Amino acid sequence: MRDFSEPPIYDDLIETDRVHRTLYTDEAIFREEMNRIYGGTWTYLAHESELPKANDFVRRTLGLRPIIVSRDRDGKVHGLLNRCPHRGATVCRDDAGSTRRFTCPYHNWSFTNSGDLVGVPIEEGYGPNFDKSRLGLGKIRVEVYRGFIFGTLNHELPDLETHLGTAARRLDEWMDRWPGGKISVRNGQHRLMCNGNWKLVSDNSHDGYHPGYSHASLLRMRKDRYGGGVDMQWVLGNVDDGLQRLYDLGNGNTFLDQRPEIERYWYQSAPMPGEDSYAATLRERLGERAEPALDVVMGSGMNLNIFPNLLIIGNQLQVIQPRTVDSTDLIWYSTSIEADDLPPEVNALRMRLQEDFPSFGEPDDLANFEECQAGLSIPEMEWVVTSRHMDTGTEYVDGNGDLAGLPTDELGIRAFWKEWLIRMNATTKLEAK
Amino acid sequence: MKDLNDYFDPGFTVDDILGDSKTSTYVNDAYYALLRADMAEWSGIGTPLTEAERQAHEALILHENWLLDRRNFEQWYQLYTRECSYWIPAAHDLPGNPQFDPQSHVTIAFDDRRRMGDRIVWLRTGVAYSQLPPSYTLHMSTGFVRVPTGRPNEVKIRSQFLLQEMRSSNPVQTLSGWMGHVFKQEDGRWKIDRKLVSLLDGQRGHHNLTYLI
Ligand code: FES
Ligand SMILES: [Fe+2]
Repeated sequence: MRDFSEPPIYDDLIETDRVHRTLYTDEAIFREEMNRIYGGTWTYLAHESELPKANDFVRRTLGLRPIIVSRDRDGKVHGLLNRCPHRGATVCRDDAGSTRRFTCPYHNWSFTNSGDLVGVPIEEGYGPNFDKSRLGLGKIRVEVYRGFIFGTLNHELPDLETHLGTAARRLDEWMDRWPGGKISVRNGQHRLMCNGNWKLVSDNSHDGYHPGYSHASLLRMRKDRYGGGVDMQWVLGNVDDGLQRLYDLGNGNTFLDQRPEIERYWYQSAPMPGEDSYAATLRERLGERAEPALDVVMGSGMNLNIFPNLLIIGNQLQVIQPRTVDSTDLIWYSTSIEADDLPPEVNALRMRLQEDFPSFGEPDDLANFEECQAGLSIPEMEWVVTSRHMDTGTEYVDGNGDLAGLPTDELGIRAFWKEWLIRMNATTKLEAK
Repeated sequence: MKDLNDYFDPGFTVDDILGDSKTSTYVNDAYYALLRADMAEWSGIGTPLTEAERQAHEALILHENWLLDRRNFEQWYQLYTRECSYWIPAAHDLPGNPQFDPQSHVTIAFDDRRRMGDRIVWLRTGVAYSQLPPSYTLHMSTGFVRVPTGRPNEVKIRSQFLLQEMRSSNPVQTLSGWMGHVFKQEDGRWKIDRKLVSLLDGQRGHHNLTYLI
């Protein structure tokens, strides 16, 4: 057995065709990840629609750091470390709201919603050299791409859109299914707890190999009740003979595209309550114009994974929130589409459809992740295989210049680890300023 | 009430569920309006049950608990009307919290009869790894009260519950909250038409909620 004594040399843990189990089980590595990965690159924080008006805010985390994402009175978005510069208390204790000032409950220091310290009770007690301008809330570098708010403590990274590269184009495709529609992320969440390392979740979302096996329950239920043709039947059999493709979009971002398997979205959708009643209402009212509206009920057919914590799956934003080395919260934010020409029934159907996978799909995945975590605790079995389709000659470069492959290719996992290594070995100082 | 045995067709199996309610025809704007009206009524002042109400309604809720704890989903399914719902909001502090509205919010579970059937078939496939091995549960209900309703021919019963669940090597976990059962007569007996489960922590994360509450 190799001796990976402290401090671990990350390069020794990641080989071209396998990675070491301690990446999933070592607490010291986890603590470093929470500082270097989360915040060392552009990390998803929140969606603009969650703080629609000036002075709105939501409370989030960046890795394990408590943060506030706020809008100032001019509507500009800020990311603030939720830690009082005085003695460290959590300043904002509400999950969401609207305020011009954050006041720390401990000694009532108060801050503007852009983080500047503006009030200190009995200020004269600090003497003449006290400088309020140096005691604001820690500031995160924040940028927004079409509503998606990202933050980083790395001031050397290129701007967000450059960093996203072709992932931004894929995000456009996801957002523009209903031309002119705006995505809204104000429709509740599924919050699923998993006793497994956070990377088991991201490994899975670019894994086109598992669905036919891990999701046998969902597939069998659908087939036994509704016959073939509905949702996800394309994952049965040898999917490498099918039309799905997997892409490495650079900077750890990946994309599993199921859309080529979808001929007609509405007919290939998973079942949902209200399906027949609302379809009848819409067809009666809109005639043929009902059909494109019904199509945007169904999930996008896209798994778009933005390193390290945003997994866009179907119609949902799945956000990874690590807790400890072996426990993770998965938050599935449901979305609706706001557009004057989109019938409201579509969003009622979208709510019901977005309950399908968190009920009948994801729990089986989480059960498998937990069993992976258990297995990875065994010291004598050291490695995890990541070599699938590495040398089968099936990979190619697509028209965007991205590496592409068959759906069961493990190129997504390899792309993740490549980026992970860059971030963990980076010497860039991470700063709140 | 009728003998509880009257509720169950002994030959009714998961195969019968496969062919039952394969379309979803009654969830629409009017149905969501009904659920919003229900939510307002659930905040009413309840009165402890009479002996007759205990026999007709409390007994059914207690038996529902018993069937769920035995994982007897096929009999559980037969306690419900043909146009029923089983609903667990992903929101807490009900009925006051406006985040409950299922027309605009996702839920932990929003099952019409068809999706209840899907859930049972899914559990019975034998390959739902999140329920292999299964969850063993213990439901405890108490504090039954009848809540006034403006809807004729319906009875609203509110109760408090505690639920413990044990699965595999996981620690026993506890859920709690209140439930609302709306009863309606169908085929000459009282059945559950709408069940609402309001969890104390409905807005929070949960570990493997694939068992029935
Ligand atoms: S710790 Fe915040 S004001 Fe003292
Ligand atoms: Fe999966």
